[in-house]
Amino acid sequence: MKWIRSLLIILLTLIIFVGLNRLVSPKYGDSLVEGSMTAAYYEEEKNHEIIFLGDCEVYANISPMVLYEEEGITAYVRGNSQQLIHQSYYLLEETLKYEIPKIVVFNVNSLRYGEEEKSEGYNRLMIDQMKWSKEKIDLIKASMTKEENFWSYVFPILRYHSRFSKLSEEDFKYFFIDNRNTFNGFLINKEIRPAGSLPTKKILPTYEFSKENMDYLEKIYELCREHNIKLVLMKAPSLYPYWYDEYESQVVEYAKSHDLDYYNFTKVTEEIGLDYETDTYDGGLHLNLYGATKLSKYFAKILKENYALTDYRLDKKVNEVYNKKVLEYKKKVEE
Amino acid sequence: MKKIFLFLFSILIYIYFGSTGIFFLLFSALSSFYVTKFFYGKHKKLWLILFLVSNIGILLTLKFQEVFHFTNIIVPLGISYYTLQVVSYVVDVYRGKIEREQNLFTYLLYVFYFPYLFIGPISRFSDVKKDLISSKIGTKQEIYDGLVRILWGVFKKLVIANRIAMVTSLITSNTSLYQGAYVIFACFLYSIQLYADFSGGIDMVLGLSHCFGIHLKENFRSPFQSESVKEFWNRWHIALSTWLKDYVYIPLGGNRCGKIRQKINVFVTFLVSGLWHGTSYLLWGVCHGIFVAFSKFFSTKSKILNRLITFVLVSFVWVFFLYPTSALTASKMFLSIFTTGNYVSLFQNILSLTLDVGNWIVLLISVFLLFLYDFRSEKWINFWKRSSIEWKTLVPCVLVLVILLFGVYGIGFEVTDFIYSKF
Repeated sequence: MKWIRSLLIILLTLIIFVGLNRLVSPKYGDSLVEGSMTAAYYEEEKNHEIIFLGDCEVYANISPMVLYEEEGITAYVRGNSQQLIHQSYYLLEETLKYEIPKIVVFNVNSLRYGEEEKSEGYNRLMIDQMKWSKEKIDLIKASMTKEENFWSYVFPILRYHSRFSKLSEEDFKYFFIDNRNTFNGFLINKEIRPAGSLPTKKILPTYEFSKENMDYLEKIYELCREHNIKLVLMKAPSLYPYWYDEYESQVVEYAKSHDLDYYNFTKVTEEIGLDYETDTYDGGLHLNLYGATKLSKYFAKILKENYALTDYRLDKKVNEVYNKKVLEYKKKVEE
Repeated sequence: MKKIFLFLFSILIYIYFGSTGIFFLLFSALSSFYVTKFFYGKHKKLWLILFLVSNIGILLTLKFQEVFHFTNIIVPLGISYYTLQVVSYVVDVYRGKIEREQNLFTYLLYVFYFPYLFIGPISRFSDVKKDLISSKIGTKQEIYDGLVRILWGVFKKLVIANRIAMVTSLITSNTSLYQGAYVIFACFLYSIQLYADFSGGIDMVLGLSHCFGIHLKENFRSPFQSESVKEFWNRWHIALSTWLKDYVYIPLGGNRCGKIRQKINVFVTFLVSGLWHGTSYLLWGVCHGIFVAFSKFFSTKSKILNRLITFVLVSFVWVFFLYPTSALTASKMFLSIFTTGNYVSLFQNILSLTLDVGNWIVLLISVFLLFLYDFRSEKWINFWKRSSIEWKTLVPCVLVLVILLFGVYGIGFEVTDFIYSKF
C-alpha cells in the first residue's frame, strides 16, 4: 500500500511537471501571436494546392482567403518571423507528411540571411508549438544558437522558469486551449505607417548567398521534385531591407538553371497598385492588410493563368468550409 | 573497480575543466607521496622543508601572479585545496601521526578524488583512506540519502545563492551609484549567498561521495547560530579552520604561551587564512583576527544579541569578498556606510535591484526554509531517518519541482560558478 502511495506521489509530480512546463511557456494567444503560426497548421484540413514558405514577407503579404475568393485557390502560408531557409526546408518536410500540394512557393528573401541572423527569440516563435517529429528535432539542431540547449525545447521549463513571477492572465486563459490568429497562415495587420525616408543603401562586403543557403535551396528543389511538386520562387514587395541587384541576379540564374518560375514583386509594385503611403504597416518593410489584398489578387491571377489549379469554389464540400472561413475573415477585416 | 573508476573519472573531469593544471596536481601528488620515504632517514627535516617550500611556493606563485605580474600561467583548478591536503598528509607522516601510505594508486586517488578537488572540503588522508580503498559503494539507503543531499545542495545554490547573486552583483558592479545602505544590504545578503553557495556545493560533494560509499566530514554546522566570531569559525568552513589550527596555530604555540603571544598567534593564523583566499583578503583576515582575539569586547549576556552581533560583524567584513579586486575599494565602500545616508533610497528602489516581488517572496521563503532546517538540523535528520516512504518520496519530488521552477539558471544568468571554486 505504501508503495502505491509513493507511486501516486511520483505520478502526481510528473503531472505537475507537465503542467508547469505548459504554465510557464509563452502562450502566444493574444500577444506575440507569431508564435502560434506553426501550430495553427495542424488544425487545418490538409487539402491545399499551394503551400507558401518563407519569412514574415509571406505571412504578412499573401492572403490565402483572397486567393480563394478571387480564383478558388486553396493555399496555406507556412511562414514565420525570420524563417531561415533551413527552417523552410524542415517545415516543408513536415508539411509533406500531411499533404502533397501541387505548388510550393518559396519567398527568396531568406537567402540573404547568414549565421548572425540565428536568434533564440525567432527560433522560439517558430519551434515552441511545433509538433514533435524527426523534422522538429532536425530543425532544432540546425537552428540553435550557441547559447541554446536542446533539452530546453523538450522541457520548456528549463528555459521559461523565470516567467513564474511574470505570469499574466493570458497564461491561464490559454492553459488548456490555444488561440489561433491567422487565416490559413496570413496574419491580418490593419495598421498604416507610410514609408518615410529609408536608411541609405549600404555597400556590403559580399553579396553572394552563402553556400549553406544555396544547398538548402537545392534540397527544397529536390524534395519538391521527388514529390512531383512544382517549385515557384517569389520575392515579396518591400522597400527595406534592400534587395540588391546582385541578389536578384543569383536568384534569376538559379531559377533559369533549374527551370523554375520566379516572380519578383518588388519590380511590379505599380502594376499591383501598391501605394506605400497606405499599404504598409511599418514604413515599407511589410505590407498591411490593404497591400496584401492587392498583392494577393495580383498573384492569384498569375497562379490561375500559369498553373493547372482547381477552382475549389465549384467543389461543394470545400467551398462550404472556405465560405465559412472567408466570412470570418471578412468579419475580422471589417472589425 | 570502484577505485579505478573514481580515479579515471577524476582525471577526465580534471582534464575537462582545467587540462593544463594536471601537471601541477601530479607534481604535488607525487612529491608528497615520495618525500615521505625520506622521513625515515637522517635529513627528514630538510626534506620536509624542501617539500613545503616547493609546494607552498607553487601555490603562492600561481595565486599571486596576477598581483605581481611575474608569470602568466592559468591557476590550476583546486590548487588551494589539494595543496593543503598534501601538506596535511606529509606533515602528519612527519609527525608520526599516521603511517606512510605504501600504495601509490590509493594515494593518487586521495589527491585526485574529483568531488572535493574544486571546493573541498579539505580532507585528511586518515579520514578518507578506509572508504577510498573499500571496494564497496554506498548502500541503497546511502545512495538515496546522497541523492537527496545533492538536491538540497542544488536548491541552496540555484534557488538561494544565484538569486541573491543577481542583487549583489548589481550593487557591486556600480560603486558610484550603490553606496552606503546598498553596501550594508549587499553585505547581509552576501552572508546568506556565500553560505548557500558554499554549503550547497559541499552538500553536493558530500552527497555524491555518500553514493560512492565515501564519508567526508561536514564543513558547516549551522554557522549563523554562533554566539561569537570564534564560535563561528568552529562552525564555518570547518575543514580550513581545523587545518589552520593543526598546521599553523598549534605549531606557532597555540594557547600554550602567554596571552599576548596567543593573540599574535590568532592574528597570524587569520592572516594565513586571508592569504589563502588571496592578497585582497588580507584585511578580511586581520578583521577576523581582531574579532577572535578580542571576542570579549563583542560579547553580551544575551544569546540572541550575541548571535546578532556575530552575524553583523561577519557580514560587514564580507565586504572584502564583495569587492575582491581591491581591498582599497572594499574599504572605501565599507566606509561609505557611515558617510552616505541613503537608507530611504534603498527601500524605494528595492524592486529595481533585479528581483521583482515574486522573486523576493521566493527568496524570503527559501531562506526561511534554509534556516528552519539549519537551526534544527539534527531534529530534521532524525525525523528524516524515521520518516515513512511517502515522505521520502515526496521530499525529493517537491525539491526537483521547486528547483526547476524557482532555480536561477540557464540563458541570461551568468552567475553559475561556485564562489569558493576560485580560491
